[in-house]
Amino acid sequence: MSELNLVQAVNQGLRQAMESDKRVMVLGEDVGINGGVFRVTEGLFKRFGPDRVVDTPLAELGIVGTSVGLAMGGMRPVCEIQFDGFLPATLDQVICHIGRIRNRSRGKYTVPMVLRSPHGGLIHAPEHHSESPEAYLCHTPGIKVVCPSTPQDAKGLIIAAINDPDPVVYFEPKALYRAAKGEVPDQPYETPIGKARLAREGTDISLISWGAMVHSCLKAANILNEEGISAEVLDLRTLTPLDIAAILATAEKTGRALIAHEAPNTGSWAAEISALISERALLKLQAPVRRVGSWDIRMPLFRLEKYYIPDAGRIVKAAQETLSF
Amino acid sequence: MPLSTISESKTQRLEILGPDGKADPSIPVDISESELLDIYRKMVEMRLFDERAIKLQRQGRLGTYPQILGQEASQIVPPLCLKPSDWMVPTYRGQGAYYARGMQLRYSLLYWAGDDRGVHFPEGNKDMIFSIPVGTHLTQAAGLAWAAKLKKEDSIALAYVGDGSTSKGDFHEALTFAGQFRLPVIYLIENNHWAISVPRKKQSASTTLAEKASGYGIFGLQVDGNDALAVYQAVGSAVARARLGLGPSVLECETYRLGHHTTADDATRYRSAQEVEAWKKKDPITRLRKYLESRKLWNAQEESKLKTESEAMIQAEIDAYESFGAPNPLNMFSDNYASAPWHLIEQRAQLEKLLKARKSQHEALELPPVEGRFP
Ligand SMILES: Cc1ncc(C[n+]2csc(CCOP(=O)(O)OP(=O)(O)O)c2C)c(N)n1
Ligand SMILES: [Mg+2]
Repeated sequence: MSELNLVQAVNQGLRQAMESDKRVMVLGEDVGINGGVFRVTEGLFKRFGPDRVVDTPLAELGIVGTSVGLAMGGMRPVCEIQFDGFLPATLDQVICHIGRIRNRSRGKYTVPMVLRSPHGGLIHAPEHHSESPEAYLCHTPGIKVVCPSTPQDAKGLIIAAINDPDPVVYFEPKALYRAAKGEVPDQPYETPIGKARLAREGTDISLISWGAMVHSCLKAANILNEEGISAEVLDLRTLTPLDIAAILATAEKTGRALIAHEAPNTGSWAAEISALISERALLKLQAPVRRVGSWDIRMPLFRLEKYYIPDAGRIVKAAQETLSF
Repeated sequence: MPLSTISESKTQRLEILGPDGKADPSIPVDISESELLDIYRKMVEMRLFDERAIKLQRQGRLGTYPQILGQEASQIVPPLCLKPSDWMVPTYRGQGAYYARGMQLRYSLLYWAGDDRGVHFPEGNKDMIFSIPVGTHLTQAAGLAWAAKLKKEDSIALAYVGDGSTSKGDFHEALTFAGQFRLPVIYLIENNHWAISVPRKKQSASTTLAEKASGYGIFGLQVDGNDALAVYQAVGSAVARARLGLGPSVLECETYRLGHHTTADDATRYRSAQEVEAWKKKDPITRLRKYLESRKLWNAQEESKLKTESEAMIQAEIDAYESFGAPNPLNMFSDNYASAPWHLIEQRAQLEKLLKARKSQHEALELPPVEGRFP
C-alpha cells in the first residue's frame, strides 16, 4: 500500500497495464514528453518510448478515430482527450462507430479501447474546461462509462477498463486529481466495472452520486448527521452499465433517494437513475426521487461556478425537502 | 503514356525587414508614418501588458493567462488592416488582436479572471468571442464571410489559427468551403512553432502550413511573422483581394511563442533554452524599432516616454478591472434565450432564494444589480 492522489493512481494503473501487456499504448495531445497537462501520463514516455506513448497532432476526432482502428487492428489504445469540453468533437466516432462495430460485424470485430478524459468543474479553469458531458455518452449503446471518486478505484478502474473487451470511457474528476488521497495497493488489481461502492451507511435518505460530487454528498451527510438525519451515500463508480441492484437496495432501504451530479438536470444521467428507481421501487418510496444538478444553462466562467454546480448546502436543502415531503 | 505534370504549386515567403531592422528596398510597403508608429506603440503596450498580466496571475489576482510574448507583430498588425465592419475572429490567444481592435485591456483581464463581463467589444465592431476550443471558429468565419458576400456587403472576415490547430478537421473543412464558394475570408496562421508541448514538426509532415492552401484552390503565402512590415503587406493585399471578390487567402505567419503556453504550463519541460534564445534575436519589437530609428521616426527619448505612458495606461486598466467587484450570480440566467422558458424562470427563482438565504447568514454579501436580459 502507498498513499497516492488520483493523478498518481491513474498513472500507476496505466504503467502496470503497459508493463503486463505490450499491446497497450497511450495516445493524445501532450501525453508524451510533457506527461499530460495534469501529469497523469508522467514518466510513461521515458519508460515505454515514442511508439507506445504518442504525442499526437492536435485533432480529437483523429485521435479517437485512429484509436478505433488501432483497437480493431489488435492494439489496446488508451487515448486521452485533454479536456471534457473537447470531447463533444469526438462524438461522431463515439456515437456512430465505437459502440456499434461489435454488433454491426456480428461479433467479428471488437473495439477494446479506453477513452480517458478529465471531468467536471471547480478548479477555476477557463471556458470549456469544466464540463460534465457524461449523459451524451451514457445514452450511447455499446460503450461503458466509468468515473472514480477515490485513488483506489481510479487505479482499479483504469486497469479494468484496459482489460475490458469493449470500449470504455473513463472520466477523471479533475477537482479530485490532487485533492483526493488514499491508500492504494501496490499490486495491479481490477475494480469491477458495473459495481457501485457504498461510501457511507445510513437509514433515512440515499444520496447517489459519482465523481467529485460524491465528496459533496459525504459532506452533506455530515451536516445532516448533526441534525439527526442519517444519510447513506452510494458512489456509482460505473455509470453504464449501472449497478441496478445497489441502487434499488439503497433506495428501498431508506425510501428516499436523491441523485447529485454536476451536469444540468434536463436529460441527465440523474434523470435516468431517477426513472429506474421510480419504475422499480415506487411502492417502497416515501417521497419523489430528487435530482440535484446544475442549472439548465451553460457552465459560466469560473467566477460563478460555485453558484452553478451544486455544493453540499444545496444537497442538504434538497435532502431536507425530500425528508419533509 | 509517360507521367505528365497536371498541377504545380509553389509556396512563397515574404520578408521585408531583416533582423537588423533594414527594409528590403525592392518591396514598397504602402504604409503611412502614423500607421507605423501606431503599430509600434501598440506592440510595446501589449508586451508591457503581458508582463503585468503574468505578475497578476502569479499574485492570485488573475486566472490562467495565455501570453502573446514574441507574437506581437502577427497579433497586432492584422486587425489594423481591417474596418470595424469586417469580422475579426480570434483564437483564445487573442488579447493583442482585441486590443488592436480597440477593446480596453480591462476586459481581457476580466475574461481571464473567469468573468463573463469580459466579453465586451467596442460598439460597432464585428468581433467574435474568444474561441477556447481550437479550430471550431474557422468554419464559422467562413460562414460570416459567406453572409457578407450574399448580402453584397464589402466586408470580409479574418480568422486567426494556431499552427497546432491546423491539424483539426475544422481547418480543412473551413478551407474547403472558403475555396469552393470563393469567400472573402483570410485565415491567418500564427505559426509560433509550439502547440503546448508539441512542436510544429510533429503536427504535420507538410513542409510548410502555407502550402496546405493550394490543395483547396486557395492562395497561400508564408510570411515572416516577426516582421511587422511583411505582415502588414501580406494582410493588406489579402484584404484587398477579398474585397474585390478574388477569394480567400491563407497566410502562415512564422513567429515564436517566447513564453510558456499559458501560466499553467512549464515550457522548460519540453524545449531547450537555446531554441528560445535564438528566437529572441528575431524579436518583432526590436526589429521594428530599429527600422523606425533608421528612418528617424523614433528615438530613445520617445521610447522612454512611450514606456512611461504605457505603464500608466496599463495601471489604469488594471485598476479599472479590479474595481469591477463580484458579478451578481443571477447574471448567468440572462441572455440564454430570446425569451426564457419555464424551467429557467423556476431555476433562477431557486437561485435567488438560495442567495437570499445565504445573505441572511452572512450579512456582508451585498449583491450588485443583475445585468443582461431576462426573461
Ligand atoms: C479542440 C481543442 N483541443 C485541445 C485544446 C487544448 N489546447 C489549448 S491550446 C492547445 C494548443 C494550441 O496550439 P496552437 O494551435 O499552435 O496555438 P498556440 O497555443 O500556439 O497559440 C491545446 C491542445 C483546445 N483548446 N481545444
Ligand atoms: Mg502554436
